[in-house]
Amino acid sequence: MSDRPVLDRLTCVLCPVGCELDVRKDEAGELDVRGNQCDKGVPFAVEEILHPKRNLATSVPVQGTAATMVSVRLSGPVPREMIFPVLAEIARLRPEAPVSRGQVLIGDVLGTGVDVIATRTVPLISRGRSGFRGAGCGGRGRRARGI
Amino acid sequence: MIDTLETHDVVVIGGGPAGLAAALGARRAGAGKVLLVERDRTLGGILNQCVHDGFGLFLYKETISGPEYSERLVEDVVREPIKVETGAMVLDLTPDRVLRINSRSGYRLVRAGAVVLAMGCRERTREMIEIPGTRPAGVFTAGSAQNLVNLQNIRIGNAAVILGSGDIGLIMARRLTFEGVAVKGVFEIMPWASGLERNVRQCLLDFGIPLELRSTVVEIRGRDRVESVVVAKVDGKLMPIPGTESVVPCDTLLLSVGLIPENELSKRAGVALSSLTGGAVVDENCMTSVPGVFSCGNVLHIHDVADWASFEGFAAGESAARYAAGERPAGGTVRIFAGPNVKYALPQLLTAGTAGTEWSFRVARPLRNVQVVVKGKATDKVYARKKFGRLLPSELQKIKVRPAVAEDLEVSCHE
Repeated sequence: MSDRPVLDRLTCVLCPVGCELDVRKDEAGELDVRGNQCDKGVPFAVEEILHPKRNLATSVPVQGTAATMVSVRLSGPVPREMIFPVLAEIARLRPEAPVSRGQVLIGDVLGTGVDVIATRTVPLISRGRSGFRGAGCGGRGRRARGI
Repeated sequence: MIDTLETHDVVVIGGGPAGLAAALGARRAGAGKVLLVERDRTLGGILNQCVHDGFGLFLYKETISGPEYSERLVEDVVREPIKVETGAMVLDLTPDRVLRINSRSGYRLVRAGAVVLAMGCRERTREMIEIPGTRPAGVFTAGSAQNLVNLQNIRIGNAAVILGSGDIGLIMARRLTFEGVAVKGVFEIMPWASGLERNVRQCLLDFGIPLELRSTVVEIRGRDRVESVVVAKVDGKLMPIPGTESVVPCDTLLLSVGLIPENELSKRAGVALSSLTGGAVVDENCMTSVPGVFSCGNVLHIHDVADWASFEGFAAGESAARYAAGERPAGGTVRIFAGPNVKYALPQLLTAGTAGTEWSFRVARPLRNVQVVVKGKATDKVYARKKFGRLLPSELQKIKVRPAVAEDLEVSCHE
């Protein structure tokens, strides 16, 4: 079996040991995982190959503020193929201040069972938090599409 | 003049994770008056623009984003009677711990019982790696691009090339992809990625972004705006190989080519720096060569995980509080050297007779089936051994030495 080509080689991230896992397909088409030093390695590799899940993070402008952004993430991972559909939903968001950390901005996004949550607090009156405003950047804080 | 000086037990310079933790550590160890000085308008440092997930696994036992991590630490700080000054810059630090501070309320002198340096680091720029070519708009360091995109909502371009595979560059490859920017590829001069493996997988492989190893950008083209970059393979001496050049059309070049501890103030105070880390030489209490001046976080050495910077901050803050209270540690006399395959080991100094010290170290190249050994430089006595399946230069590792040490040590790695 080990002479079959390696389908994927990945590092288990469940603990600091970081086993290197070689994943092959056996004669029956089942995944064959080698290199794991504990029982968690096999399900980790199988999920990563067959149904990878990811969290994602971005930021969206807050309504009624000059250039304040609120960063967002998901409350848990979604199937990898849902990344761009979920991003499209998030792109439509224009939350109003105040926003609190952990606030659910979209519940059960696209039926995935996870929520889009704010990851920072935006008080009602915000002065923005950029480090680059000032010299050279002359208040160019709004969306500047194109170049 | 001197007797009108404002005094504090501990002054912390820098309000990122290390500085916030240092201020908290100082309070926990009993410091009465603690001043935290931050140059930006808000606390939190670079965490505020790191909107991605994956922070806090060790400190908070869950993975959260940078802004959440920052807010949690800030909430702990504001609960304490710590004087926080944002929009304030420390202009000078003397060896006897007098600080010149310029703030919203004006210029003043402050005397500190102990000082914690937590100024963080800066990104290496195009000029520092001397990329030939024209000087058009569209060349950004990865971190400044991250600030523009995540905090200022500015679209930085339409088609990007990323030079260097540091973590911020990898994270930005994904971030730009999310924003609809075409990422043409990541080019890394070394034979291995310099960022964490998880980031290579989740930021590049997931989106089919090519990672070209042993490659670099040899020319930037374009008059007003970047129009293309020329990339080439490099040889074993990292020199471009003639004939391997190819032109990659793009309007944006991101640089993720290393971070440099920001030690301008440390130098003014006379703090001895290490050429291996770019940060201060410290003992097991995070104390520098200048008594009463401590260092932690990215200004001490570059961290890949914010938690380690925070833990270092807690420790440095506690040590600073004890120093301010009059404790005078003997100071490090035992030296610790980086041996074969080790880029650096920290702390570099240890008070003779100390037991139970944990060293941070980084390997010089990827290694497999490694035995890490800490042994006496003169006696060859083995003080600690630890096995690792694999070690990467991108990952800061730790090894604990239980016995008391009274001789110079060497940390080495053997495959």
